[in-house]
Amino acid sequence: MNKNVKAVRAYRRNLSIALGLILLVFILIPIIVKSPYVLNVFVLVFYMSTLSMAWNLLGGMTGQNSLGHAAYMGLGAYASCLLITKTGANPWLSAIFAMVVVGLVAGVIFYPCFILRGPYFTLVSIAFGEAMRQFIINSSFFGRASGVGLPFGKDSWLDFRFMSKVPYYYVGLVMVLAIYLLMKKIERSRMGYALRTIREDEDAAAAIGINPTKYKIMAVVVSAMVAALVGFFYASYIRYIDPELMVQAKSTESVLPAVVGGAAYVEGPLVGGLIMIPLSEFLRANFSAILPGINMLMYAVVLLTVIRFRPTGILGWYMHSKAKEFVDVKLLKKPPVEVFEAVEMEKNRGKEG
Amino acid sequence: MKKLIAMLSVLAMLVALFTVPTMAEEGPIRIGTIYAMSGGNAAIGENILRGIDFAVAEINAKGGVNGRQLEVVRGDHAGDPATGRSEAERLINQEHVDVMMGCHMSVVTEVVAQVCTQYGVPMITAISTLDKLSDPDHEAMDYFFRLCPLNSVYVKDMLEYLKDSSEQTGEEVKTIAIFTDRAAIGQELIRCVELYKDEYGFDLVATVDYSSNATDLSAQVLALKQANPDAVLCDSYIGDATLFVQTLKAQGFTPKMIVAKANGFTDPAFLTNLGAAANGVASVVEFNPDLINGKEINEEFKAQYGVNMNGHSAESYTVVWIFKTAIEAAGTTDGAAVRDAIAALDIQGEFPGGRKIVLPYDRIKFENYDLDGATHYRDNTSASVAIAQVQDGEWKTVWPFSFTDTKILYPAPLQ
Repeated sequence: MNKNVKAVRAYRRNLSIALGLILLVFILIPIIVKSPYVLNVFVLVFYMSTLSMAWNLLGGMTGQNSLGHAAYMGLGAYASCLLITKTGANPWLSAIFAMVVVGLVAGVIFYPCFILRGPYFTLVSIAFGEAMRQFIINSSFFGRASGVGLPFGKDSWLDFRFMSKVPYYYVGLVMVLAIYLLMKKIERSRMGYALRTIREDEDAAAAIGINPTKYKIMAVVVSAMVAALVGFFYASYIRYIDPELMVQAKSTESVLPAVVGGAAYVEGPLVGGLIMIPLSEFLRANFSAILPGINMLMYAVVLLTVIRFRPTGILGWYMHSKAKEFVDVKLLKKPPVEVFEAVEMEKNRGKEG
Repeated sequence: MKKLIAMLSVLAMLVALFTVPTMAEEGPIRIGTIYAMSGGNAAIGENILRGIDFAVAEINAKGGVNGRQLEVVRGDHAGDPATGRSEAERLINQEHVDVMMGCHMSVVTEVVAQVCTQYGVPMITAISTLDKLSDPDHEAMDYFFRLCPLNSVYVKDMLEYLKDSSEQTGEEVKTIAIFTDRAAIGQELIRCVELYKDEYGFDLVATVDYSSNATDLSAQVLALKQANPDAVLCDSYIGDATLFVQTLKAQGFTPKMIVAKANGFTDPAFLTNLGAAANGVASVVEFNPDLINGKEINEEFKAQYGVNMNGHSAESYTVVWIFKTAIEAAGTTDGAAVRDAIAALDIQGEFPGGRKIVLPYDRIKFENYDLDGATHYRDNTSASVAIAQVQDGEWKTVWPFSFTDTKILYPAPLQ
């Protein structure tokens, strides 16, 4: 029995070393890599993956396909930019402000629409995005179609403003990690089980005492708040926003990393983002000058291939693949399932005794 | 476990390898261009790039710049500021461009100009007209210059044309109306007309707007009809511009003068879509093949590409020549030196070793000046536009009167 416990401990240790090493690589990248362009690609990966995780909470975990995440993100960007430019507030405070505002707006707007079922949520989310965009285009308070710019100046942590990519890289990395841990926490919490039950069968969920509307609203609000945080990050990074940020195509972009990576997994958007965004940058950098538009065509082909042959995403395939077996058994020395069960039983017996 | 560490370190090394910067070599001088080459605005990017390629070929054939050839490195912003930023970073850090040109949309230009300023790469925009790109907020963006006229100059010239037109038409324009898109282009038109209308003594009787890609404009045209202005000022994308003229005809309303602020109205499809119905519509143009200074270059250009040179091609053509002249004056491609040379440039009439300025003005000098109570920085203050009118299915320059012999067709027949 003791041997089993050791094996499990060794596996857990190996796993944390592996995860620690991956994290270390990401922490070291700005020190090794000096090219701002490559760092810029990583920053894109970080914020797009975070946005996609926000989408995945609704789309993957709850089964509510949103096509309006660009609008939450845009609204968050606008809320923080306007607070900064109109009142001179600190950008970090404006991030919190943006999250609260967007969370409230999403909660209020989607509360009534969750009375409906089926594809209505998707339809409303599309309408919501376009309505928000039109509202901003027609409102002089929001600067109409001309957009809002953030002030330039000296590098400052207080103002979250830098010439160098490195601070944005680390803030982006912290953001993506924090949101990942949050999503992991939600997945393992009561809320996570409730959301997955709702995804599988809403009536059954209601029958066992889960209030579907309540949990769906919670998911929308959290998801919108995370998207607003991404909006704040985007605005601080690009330092210029306009209503085009909220067009439908951008919402679709937020779905892609999750779908390609595997929407059923919290890690899906991370894997998808890490693959698709550098791929899209690579294709544009190397092919767009040869034949304009060919990069998008190639991107589409890759996307179609993944969806056709790996409909559950890259993680969905990986989880049942030989590669996983190799990584688990050879690299991480994962003991067989029986060993885990034995250890669990041992533990429980200990408690009883 | 060891294997895992090995794999990860290989991965880390790969990342490092991929990113080792290649040093800038001797050899060609590299011009970075960032325009939309894919997406909805790709056609515009194509015209711009033709102008650039044409100038580069011409300069290289004559021996290049400081004995070095010019080379164009193309970036594609696909109409998106974040992509524009990526592309600017890539062209500067990976491709090591010496100077930058761009972009087609002013929002993207703003982001790219900031990246250029950060790395000290001189940038000239050939076609970004948004006033605020050079306003006091951008004082520190001192590697960025603008060749083209500002939106407010476009509109001022439109009003100037209306005022001057009485010389030929015998009727004075008193009332004007605006018909435009609710998007950024329209907002600019409205803002600028408000700014100058009193100076010219025009009475703005109606401001009518619509959402882009409208399917029906009857209500808007009826509102114009009711206001019955002497002249309509408009700015639309191609689909809306076509529908606008069709609706005017359907409603039987023919304003005596229609003056557009380019965009959809000068799109080649505008004439194809409307045929004779477009006769009499006037528009701002940055260049027109029948301009006195443009006839010769247009023939060569057309022989090569099979299409006329348009405003965007002509302006980007000119920017390449400005870079050539400035780099020669600086004697180096060092960013700061080239920037100073551009700032000190004063081209009168023609480029040294090149043609006359092919645009409807005869001086290029980047200056700081006062506009609407605020200082603007590094704009070409001599820039202005011409007005062309569709006559017999072709764009004919009608203003400034000194640049053409064609007379204004009045009132606009729309048939």
